[in-house]
Amino acid sequence: MDEHLVWQGYLLSHHDAFTVVQSPFTLNGTRVFGADSDPTTLAVAALLHRSGTEPVDSVSVPQGMDSPTLAAACDVVVASEDGLDACSWDLMLSDEAVVVLAKRGADVSIPHLDVEVPVDAQEHAAMEQAWSKELHPQHVSQGAFVSEAAYVEGAGARLALEGQRTRGTVVWPPRFGDHGSAESTNVHRTGEVLSWTALSAAGAPSEFALRAPLLGGLATVLLHLHDGPNGVFLLVDDEDHDITMGASVELVLRRLYAQEGFMRYGLKGRLV
Amino acid sequence: MVNVAMVGAGQTKYGNHPLGLKGMWAEAAEQAFASIDGDLEPQQVDEAFIGSLAFGGAQLGNTAALLTEHSRMKGVPVRRVENACASSGYALRDAWMAIKSGQADIVVAGGIEKMNDLTPERKRYWLGVSGDTEWERLAGLTFPGTYALMARRHFHEHGSTHDDLVHISVKNHLHGSMNAKAHIQKAVDFEKAASGFMVADPLTLYDCCPTSDGASCVVLAADHIARRLTDTPVWINGSGAASDHLALHDRPSITQLAATQQAARRAYVQAGVSAGDIDLAEVHDCFTIAELLATEDLGFAAAGEGGVFARNGEGRLNEGDVTINASGGLKSKGHPLGATGTGQAVEVFQQLRQEVGNQRQVRDAEVALTHNVGGSGATCAVHVFGREVA
Repeated sequence: MDEHLVWQGYLLSHHDAFTVVQSPFTLNGTRVFGADSDPTTLAVAALLHRSGTEPVDSVSVPQGMDSPTLAAACDVVVASEDGLDACSWDLMLSDEAVVVLAKRGADVSIPHLDVEVPVDAQEHAAMEQAWSKELHPQHVSQGAFVSEAAYVEGAGARLALEGQRTRGTVVWPPRFGDHGSAESTNVHRTGEVLSWTALSAAGAPSEFALRAPLLGGLATVLLHLHDGPNGVFLLVDDEDHDITMGASVELVLRRLYAQEGFMRYGLKGRLV
Repeated sequence: MVNVAMVGAGQTKYGNHPLGLKGMWAEAAEQAFASIDGDLEPQQVDEAFIGSLAFGGAQLGNTAALLTEHSRMKGVPVRRVENACASSGYALRDAWMAIKSGQADIVVAGGIEKMNDLTPERKRYWLGVSGDTEWERLAGLTFPGTYALMARRHFHEHGSTHDDLVHISVKNHLHGSMNAKAHIQKAVDFEKAASGFMVADPLTLYDCCPTSDGASCVVLAADHIARRLTDTPVWINGSGAASDHLALHDRPSITQLAATQQAARRAYVQAGVSAGDIDLAEVHDCFTIAELLATEDLGFAAAGEGGVFARNGEGRLNEGDVTINASGGLKSKGHPLGATGTGQAVEVFQQLRQEVGNQRQVRDAEVALTHNVGGSGATCAVHVFGREVA
């Protein structure tokens, strides 16, 4: 039997043999991605939900999804070209902002859901154009930035909250000096607001220069994660925020920014 | 052990300076040597330390060698010191240590930053490079955002308010209005300062320091030389420094800077003084909340009472126990990142020698302090100065 729920800001339908994740946003009746979502972020939501009910060991990934990010965020084996036949799960991308995770050979049907959040056509186009510019290989840094190597080095901590447990204390992000003596752990993706700020577009780092004006600025929270450590996170771009001290927040995967043709993903906060 | 004194000090005007790196440094160094009462040539310097973040737009590598070449110090052993906004606070400490160690007798410490020769886009890349790049910057934070998080938490924990920050802004603008070297020489009233454009909620434009060009330079000497060069040396009686987690989220508290507390403790012990002995403090008010926190961390106000301290008008010129940021501070004098630490020392040099020359002079000041912070508190250098040697 299908179960429908809101999951990490998306519409999720759970079936015994497959999971469908749909963007809530629509343009002229077609589902479109929100301001910081894409096929990869929807796929992560599907994988994380599914792996809460049964193991998803290996999965095939279509073009248009970021395989290293999926692997780091969800601890799954992304099948190489040679290993496609051995996969037990497939990720699929529809023409709309809809992603399906299905057991190999499952008979998939995408449920029609009445939930639709219409987006403004001009605003949507402007955001798409900004992402396109950001992703251009010649859109390069003029100073400090997170290179692909630095991003990959911290991917486990950034995308799956990999941390360390040392003498009963959870440390996140992990410290290189402690690797030998610490036990690996994954920090839970929930926390409470210790502090917050809303940055004007002019106050945001230049990595966000193309999109911050479209969003009316950025919102950042300092969270006390429920396992102990603190962290700073952007809030998701496509929801309104009425932030208060102590508010509960869940962390979900979204786009952060792109440079030099390379998309950086990370966890962002959703008020719950 | 040898005592160390400042015998000369100079700086450019802060702001949109018409000159580049070479010209600004030459101007500051020339003023510093000209301020020495006796005869001392730049070529007599044993060692030099120049703080700079190297914001961009000019020489990045080997900056210090280029600068000595343009200030008649060619051949002097020199290096660039980089600790973000605390670069020249640490250059000053390095210079002090060089003399203390007995390896040098005459040392130059200085700092420089050219920030306004970049396009707005390139400038935005540089602002915030000293915060935690991998986590904070990816979370949309540059320093206005980071300090905004501190401010809101302080409001929450201690009942301070944005009005308390406005009092700090008004005070520093007033002080800066009397400083011919200040970037912003304009007093503002409470209503105007309270209604600025929001940069990072709750911090407005009037809570944030400007982006300034500038250079500063001080000449230090061992006591046996200092006494030959001047009758009014300014003694560096204490030098404390400390570091902390780079990222705000790794610190147990974001309403105090542990690096400031440690650096101050060390400097006070060396100088044999306590916070109550300080007549004049130049503190690192890159944002108004930073001054509020500094008043607590340096011991001028009790923990959590920085808001009350500001609300009561403490820190105003010649009004209470301590004058804070007689120069106008970073908020009004300006903040050319690498120049700020030794720029604070220039102010102290002139104040303790009673050479300010207008109503900005702190009356009867005997003991002074400088407080220079790198980023959001990852590094800090605190120095205690006196008209008398400790």
